[in-house]
Amino acid sequence: MPLVTVPLFTVTFLAVVRHAGRDDLTAYAVMAPVLIALWQLSLLDSGEIIEADRWQGVLEVVIAAPANVSTVVLGRVFAVTAVAFLAFIEVWFVARALFGVTIEFHHPGLFLLTLAASGLAMSGTAVIMAALFVLARSARTFQNSLSYPFYVLGGVLVPVSFLPDWLEPLSSVVFLSWSADLLRDSLDPAPVSGAAVRLGMVLALGTGGFVIGRLLLRRILNRVRADGTVGYA
Amino acid sequence: MRHVLRVLRHAAATGYQDYKTIYTWRTWLIGWYLRVVAQVVFFALIGELLGSRARTHELLVGAAVLLATVTSFIAVASTAWERWAGTLPLLVASPSSAVVVFAGRSVTFIGDGVVTSLGSFLAAAAIFDLPLPWPRILLVAPLTLLVAVSSYMLAIFLGGLVLRAMSTRNVVSNLATGTIMAIGGVVVPVGYYPQPVQWLANILPLTHGLEAIRDLLAGEAAAEILPNVGLEAAVGLGWLGLALLTFNHLAESGRRDGSIEFAS
Repeated sequence: MPLVTVPLFTVTFLAVVRHAGRDDLTAYAVMAPVLIALWQLSLLDSGEIIEADRWQGVLEVVIAAPANVSTVVLGRVFAVTAVAFLAFIEVWFVARALFGVTIEFHHPGLFLLTLAASGLAMSGTAVIMAALFVLARSARTFQNSLSYPFYVLGGVLVPVSFLPDWLEPLSSVVFLSWSADLLRDSLDPAPVSGAAVRLGMVLALGTGGFVIGRLLLRRILNRVRADGTVGYA
Repeated sequence: MRHVLRVLRHAAATGYQDYKTIYTWRTWLIGWYLRVVAQVVFFALIGELLGSRARTHELLVGAAVLLATVTSFIAVASTAWERWAGTLPLLVASPSSAVVVFAGRSVTFIGDGVVTSLGSFLAAAAIFDLPLPWPRILLVAPLTLLVAVSSYMLAIFLGGLVLRAMSTRNVVSNLATGTIMAIGGVVVPVGYYPQPVQWLANILPLTHGLEAIRDLLAGEAAAEILPNVGLEAAVGLGWLGLALLTFNHLAESGRRDGSIEFAS
């Protein structure tokens, strides 16, 4: 579903910057829908992995299998995350067909590396969500709550420098804030400073997310096993 | 008429019980309310990015009123839940009109939409120093209610359509609200788009109601505001009429091909 709404987000964001005569913000408007699709698709899938397994009565089998559950979840989320990159093709098409905008890649290597790192980081982070969704009363409600707060903290459209100073420590641990800045910079003709460190931060935060998610998942699955609620749908 | 009102009341009570399984006060405040305030802040920040406080305020109002529509549109999905629950055949077989039942069933989302919209509007107004002219500000509530109700009418019409294709319920709902967000005057004036897009925007809920709310906050005279109020009401009634004409046919169509109990 996130791929269905990508064109509408693209129209909305491009319309607002071009109506204001700020063509210099086109990179902001075209990268935001891609990051939103990446976040939504991974979140939606990670939420529904556990829910769907519970509905289908296979969660017990998944837990009983010798493979590590969090690794299985990571692999399943990553497959869906890869699909999210189709969003960029949609954005490219809508920008060109409806607004006559051609997206120029001034740092194509960095752009591709950032997309790949963001996909990995998203998948790692999604494992935390998958763990928490096991305890949530309604995964869908939880999913709904995790969208816009992270779009703001992650500077998906508006850079985090526009947020109050006291929010900056919080936004700096959201990998999206590093991804969004790097993706915008990769479309800008100016040289990109500290690209390796910033890419490293995206990967480090994604790895951190996966480690936390793995610990949480182990703990939460132990808990639902102990109280006999693994199969509750 | 008394019979219709009784059915509406019972349907609304059922819907409210459903709603209580989605949210508690705590999850509404910490989960939903935090999210919707962040949504309005997200759009208002675009104005800051553009370097215009006036645009910040326009986007803030647009995003807050949009929430009345978005929340009312949960009715598209909640209409389909009835088929999922396996109770649609019973409703269709009952002597009541299905459209009356379904119109009452999701009415909780109108109230939720108004509270969501006004709550996020006031929070974001405080964050971005939006002037709230007294006592005009009080009229924002009924106008938001009007937007929520007209949006609900379109949602009920779409709910009838998705009863035939349940798996599309969230796609239809998101496409409709996404379209309203893009072309309904939320982020840029409707006049920015080509004429055919403007025609579409003018028959969608929110477009005229939002303009009325912006005019109200800008201190315009009643003569400027009331035509848009009338147009918003007319749009809502138009979608209600369409829902009345089509809903029962769509709800009952599963009887002909034996698919009424299928949940997909």
